Amino acid sequence: MNIVVCLKQVLDPEIPARDFKINKERREAERGSANLVTSIFCANALETALQFRDIHGGKITVLTYGTVAAEDVLRKAIALKADDAVLVLNDQSSSPDPLQVASVLAAAIKKIDAVNLILVGRESADWGAGQTGGLVAEILGLPCLAFVDHIDLVDGSLRIRRQTETGRDVYMATPPIVLTITNDDHNLPRVPKTKDVMLSSRKPITKWSLTDLGIEPTPGYLKVAELGIPEKNTMCEFVDGETLDDKVATLARKIADVIQG
Amino acid sequence: MWLMYALLVPTLAVAAYGFYHRIKPWFVGKPLDRLDRPAQRIVRLLKLGLLQQKTIRERYAGFFHQMIFWGFIVLFIATTVVLIDYDFQVPIMRGAFYLYFQSFFVDVLGLLFLVGIALAGWRRWWFRPPALVYTKEASLILALLFVIGATGFLIEGWRIAATNDPWGAWSPVGNVIAKISRPLFSEDALLILHRSFWWLHMGTTFAFLAWAPYTKMAHVLLSPANIYLGNLDPIGGSLKPVDFESSEIFGVNSLAQFTWKDLADLDACTECGRCTASCPANNSGKPLSPRDIILDLQKLSRRGEPQAPLIGATVSLSSESLWNCTTCAACVEACPVSIEQLPKIIDLRRHLVMDQAEFPEMMQDALGSLENRGHPFRGTQATRLDWVGDLDIPEWGEGQTYDVLYWVGCAGALVERNQKTVRATAQLLKTAGVRFAILGRDEKCTGDLARRIGNEFLFETVAKENIERLQSLGVTKVVTSCPHCFNTFANEYPRLGGAFEVQHHSVFLADLVRNGRLKPSRAIEETVTFHDPCYLGRHNGEYDAPRELVQISIGKDPIEMPRSRERSFCCGGGGGLSFVEEPTDQRVSHRRAAEAVESGADTVAVGCPFCMTMLEDAVNAKSGDRPVKVKDVAEILWQAVNQQA
Ligand code: SF4
Ligand code: SF4
Repeated sequence: MNIVVCLKQVLDPEIPARDFKINKERREAERGSANLVTSIFCANALETALQFRDIHGGKITVLTYGTVAAEDVLRKAIALKADDAVLVLNDQSSSPDPLQVASVLAAAIKKIDAVNLILVGRESADWGAGQTGGLVAEILGLPCLAFVDHIDLVDGSLRIRRQTETGRDVYMATPPIVLTITNDDHNLPRVPKTKDVMLSSRKPITKWSLTDLGIEPTPGYLKVAELGIPEKNTMCEFVDGETLDDKVATLARKIADVIQG
Repeated sequence: MWLMYALLVPTLAVAAYGFYHRIKPWFVGKPLDRLDRPAQRIVRLLKLGLLQQKTIRERYAGFFHQMIFWGFIVLFIATTVVLIDYDFQVPIMRGAFYLYFQSFFVDVLGLLFLVGIALAGWRRWWFRPPALVYTKEASLILALLFVIGATGFLIEGWRIAATNDPWGAWSPVGNVIAKISRPLFSEDALLILHRSFWWLHMGTTFAFLAWAPYTKMAHVLLSPANIYLGNLDPIGGSLKPVDFESSEIFGVNSLAQFTWKDLADLDACTECGRCTASCPANNSGKPLSPRDIILDLQKLSRRGEPQAPLIGATVSLSSESLWNCTTCAACVEACPVSIEQLPKIIDLRRHLVMDQAEFPEMMQDALGSLENRGHPFRGTQATRLDWVGDLDIPEWGEGQTYDVLYWVGCAGALVERNQKTVRATAQLLKTAGVRFAILGRDEKCTGDLARRIGNEFLFETVAKENIERLQSLGVTKVVTSCPHCFNTFANEYPRLGGAFEVQHHSVFLADLVRNGRLKPSRAIEETVTFHDPCYLGRHNGEYDAPRELVQISIGKDPIEMPRSRERSFCCGGGGGLSFVEEPTDQRVSHRRAAEAVESGADTVAVGCPFCMTMLEDAVNAKSGDRPVKVKDVAEILWQAVNQQA
């Protein structure tokens, strides 16, 4: 099985909420002191692929579309024993447009030879649109299953388990197929061995530009009109009154005021 | 006579072969220099070997061990004297020396020896403390020693009786036996008894001599050797570096990957169990026993398979056991013969972490956060500057100079409770007029946590970054609030090229008080007990400064818990364990908190942010209706110094 796992580098989503700042002008998050990390569902996707390969063998190529800094995400995947790594360089600023990202990823997947299983995180930890997987499948003309937490191989077919609101569905599918991966107790990302971390910096990474993929940089289909951090205000007021009845009446009036705006 | 010598030769040959067998496995180990600083080593040998400074800490066992120890030495000297005098015909057994030493003194010490053996037997067969290892070997050793001692007295008594020795009274024990025997036996019978028991005595002695090196009695020679070769540095500096350039395997998973000294340690073990008896993990019902680790490794070492995997080979070497170690070093401190259990545990953990990438999930999370965010507190909503609030504290920028860098530490800055401690410390520094600064948001974990969990690679990476940063800022002196940070600066950074003068805040503040730069203005009406942090106390030998701060602040000495100073009982938070959920009935912190509450103190003073968080929860759970507080020594001092606090 030739597996491609798409990875996205995001701003560390675990920094304290108070440290999270936005640049209103550019309509994007400010990096501040935050680190860049692999988006969590992408890490779950890689872990799912690694577990599948541990049992059934195959080859894992990790693929990312990002800036030069995104190489770090690939190095970390190589330390976990991904076989190959491809970086498609994005020299524009980070685009939240899933269709644009999906067309780049799909073109790269076409260029990587004979891929039959494509794993994508359920959604990214920054914009969280959750569309990339589906769009990649659409562009490649492949079927897609979402919210998958486990894959197995039975008689040459994929046995795919996906989470639903009420439980789990199990599907049998014939590759090639695109799966979006969600998290589960069983696909928590593993930690690398030190030797592999040391070796990971020596392994070559394939770098493609958009021209290499024959893609015209498009302006994007989606524009962020406005970006802000929701403000939450809490107020606490004690209701006064002589008697209990008074208090209840005042409280009721206040509630009515709020409801009527 | 010639028959005795004829027997002595094979006896010594068997014994020598035994020792050779014990020592041979050491040679597969890696090199380590343990012959440097001979003067310090001799002093150590005199203190721990001759004066038995560690065995006597345990009252009963220390007492009888002293008796056996001195009895053994004196009897050995006496036998050599007889040998020289009688067999080599050098007349030294004469006059006063003969009477005072060879007769009287030896007789008394021989008696002490026998009583000591009896007391040891009483403990082994009657009290049966769990610290001991119950083997047939151990019982047989005691029995043989008793027979040797007792037959020695019998032949002496019968000799005095048969020869009517005019100086018999100088050997009190022998004389009593002579007095009892004379009316019972004829002179001929006495001679026959003397002769046959002499052979019994010599036979048992020779048998014992030949057998001893194959048993734990080898400790008579191997333990003093091990004490001499012991670690002279602070325990906090005893972890060895890993050579990432040339090693193929990281950490240790076979005997051959240990150093020769680690292997020598195994053979010095006397099976006394002091290490396990003081181990907090073991005390709280977890599957970790430093004694069993040493003895299991010893068995494996004698089996002669230096390449066989160790982890999981026995229960004590399983990963379940190894992950319970808080790295408190109580075992190292307790061991009377200078065995270093802790560095071996870390060596094995290093293998689990770096080579197998298998370790507890919560520790993985903590190290992952350390790597990505520079601190191990995953998910914290605090930032490194929250504690500063309205205090005006400079951040050390490029090109600036200050006298002191106040290294706040992740646990100090990011855990809400500890923010009060670091605030108090900073206020004290300001009051005393110290020219200090902090790194603020640029401060990163020292790497202690990575090192104790076993990720030496991560430790080295962050350590080198920190050293480089501090050197580029021109920092020379550092004060830390966390004993773990202190230990890393004091004992681990120098080896990586980062030599900074470093003090724990308790030591620095105590100096400020002594120099009159801080003046406590009112005595606080509280009774206080002090809980020694492992990384300040046992790991670095500082016990007095924090007590001094308490004394100054409350006007009297702190109450001591039964286990304090070098015998202090860990809070349970070291070695990455504060990031792991302990089973409710096995919490180390609850045991320590119970002890602290029982001391009757109103306040439990600490000097470490990890002790603070571990003990505060536990004290709340254990103190019942009585309000007992946990405070850092800096907070207590600030209360005494600051009128408004
Ligand atoms: S260092 Fe402490 S916890 Fe670890 S084995 Fe020794 S006594 Fe037990
Ligand atoms: S390691 Fe030391 S303390 Fe532990 S049983 Fe052996 S001799 Fe005793």
